[in-house]
Amino acid sequence: MGPSISLSNVALRYENNIVLQDISVSLDAGKCHVIMGPNGGGKTSLLRSILGLTPFKGEINVNWTDKKGKIGYVPQKATFEPSLPLTVLDFILLNQSRSPLFFNFNKKHKVKALAQLARLGMADRAMFRMGQLSGGEQQRVLFAQALLDNPDLLILDEPTNGMDDQGVRYFESLISDLVKEQKTILVVHHDISAVRRLEAIVHVVNGVLIESGDASEVLHTSKIEQLFNHYRSTPMTDVANKSTATTTSTNSEVA
Amino acid sequence: MDTLRLLASQGAEAGWLSESFSYAFMVNALVAALLVGPLLGGLGTLVIAKRLAFFSEAVGHAALTGIAIGVLLGEPPENPIIGLFCFCMIFALLLHFVRNRTAVPYDTLVGVFLAVALAGGAALLMYVARKINIHMLENVLFGSILTITDFDLLVLGVSCLLIIVGLVFTFNRILLASISPDIAKVRGYNTHFYDYLFVMMITLVTIAAVKIVGAVLVGALLLIPGATARLMTKSMGSFVLLSSLLATLSCLIGTLLPMELKLPIPSGASIILVAASFFLIATIYRIIGGRS
Repeated sequence: MGPSISLSNVALRYENNIVLQDISVSLDAGKCHVIMGPNGGGKTSLLRSILGLTPFKGEINVNWTDKKGKIGYVPQKATFEPSLPLTVLDFILLNQSRSPLFFNFNKKHKVKALAQLARLGMADRAMFRMGQLSGGEQQRVLFAQALLDNPDLLILDEPTNGMDDQGVRYFESLISDLVKEQKTILVVHHDISAVRRLEAIVHVVNGVLIESGDASEVLHTSKIEQLFNHYRSTPMTDVANKSTATTTSTNSEVA
Repeated sequence: MDTLRLLASQGAEAGWLSESFSYAFMVNALVAALLVGPLLGGLGTLVIAKRLAFFSEAVGHAALTGIAIGVLLGEPPENPIIGLFCFCMIFALLLHFVRNRTAVPYDTLVGVFLAVALAGGAALLMYVARKINIHMLENVLFGSILTITDFDLLVLGVSCLLIIVGLVFTFNRILLASISPDIAKVRGYNTHFYDYLFVMMITLVTIAAVKIVGAVLVGALLLIPGATARLMTKSMGSFVLLSSLLATLSCLIGTLLPMELKLPIPSGASIILVAASFFLIATIYRIIGGRS
């Protein structure tokens, strides 16, 4: 079973730029949660705060049911130098095993790595350099890496960026399978129709938490334009006050 | 070492080996080359992956100041190892520390540190010149196989052992921490620790290789075999192995060749020229291969 995650008054700023302010929300265990919002709204910063990659104010608790489980993470983008002879298989082995790549003669490791790549349709690219892959293919490999340890908490930052339709469909079916296994999944996603298909709980963030709830409610056509307005028309402090009320009601609904 | 030197001498007398092997310093130099070659080649691949070529050059050049400080503090001018070790280590760690705490681009920061270290070294050498014959320093700066002693081999052996053990256990994590630090952090790896560990390895190998390659040229030997291997290999494992092989061959050939051809060239320069010729061959091969 995946963990639940609770955020309380989470705030983040880079010098004078307020990125996140007063985010309080509870993410239920064993569900798929999608964070949406306009560009620059702080979605990635929120994920990074949960992962402990960015210092923040406030409190974030990842509540594991038993002992601390594994976390899988797909970053928004990874840059691989094209001339570095790091193959797809090398990259998976790097994440999977401590045996140095120049001394790794363990067939089991390679079989496991290839099986994981096959799961994402990348086994035939195993000997390609990471830097030679397209953006969508790199995302698939990053996804394969995230699934290596059968994680209980999966955090994905725009995982379908650059993926073709087949990749996106596969991603969706995999997410659906993982939710059935009661893993907790947290995804930053831009594609509204794809999110509707995921049947996830949607959290719209634009500096503050704008709205949380089922995809069918939050992504209602009448609200879309207002929710994804790129510019913060209301001063941050006013929005923060409003959002506190929203968050509180969301928490009570989830509870 | 005595047994090895005796065997080499007997081999030379019997005509199995070249006359050069009858000299004890030559055997010492070849043992040093065999120890330091694979290590420089292996670490060089990480230097390239982490884009730290300029950094390794800077550490090598900082050795100039380290040597001057060591001599001024009373160390023997032919082997000022404590001054060299302490200064290079402080230089490298401080550079990395400042990098982690400022937004200054890394190459700019390395440039600043390199300039300060060189300027400091140049200033101190004026004082050093009053105490010793300044030409003695050329051995340390550009390498000299004549000066390798049993104690140097012991220091080299211990350094190599430490680095190899460290590298075997941490290679994957150092590489992952440089390619994708966020993934490494989420996996629970202390990326700062692996960064600093790598910096310490580079510094240690620089100091260990000073006698044979020379402080100024050691950075090049970290870089050139790796750059050559990158042109010729298709996976990370073969990249490391080929780089190690090329670095070892460069060290061995570069040490032997001036002796065999009776050329008055410092070992460091000779080693780098051999490594550079491998690079040239690989580049031509790639260009021709690319056309066909």
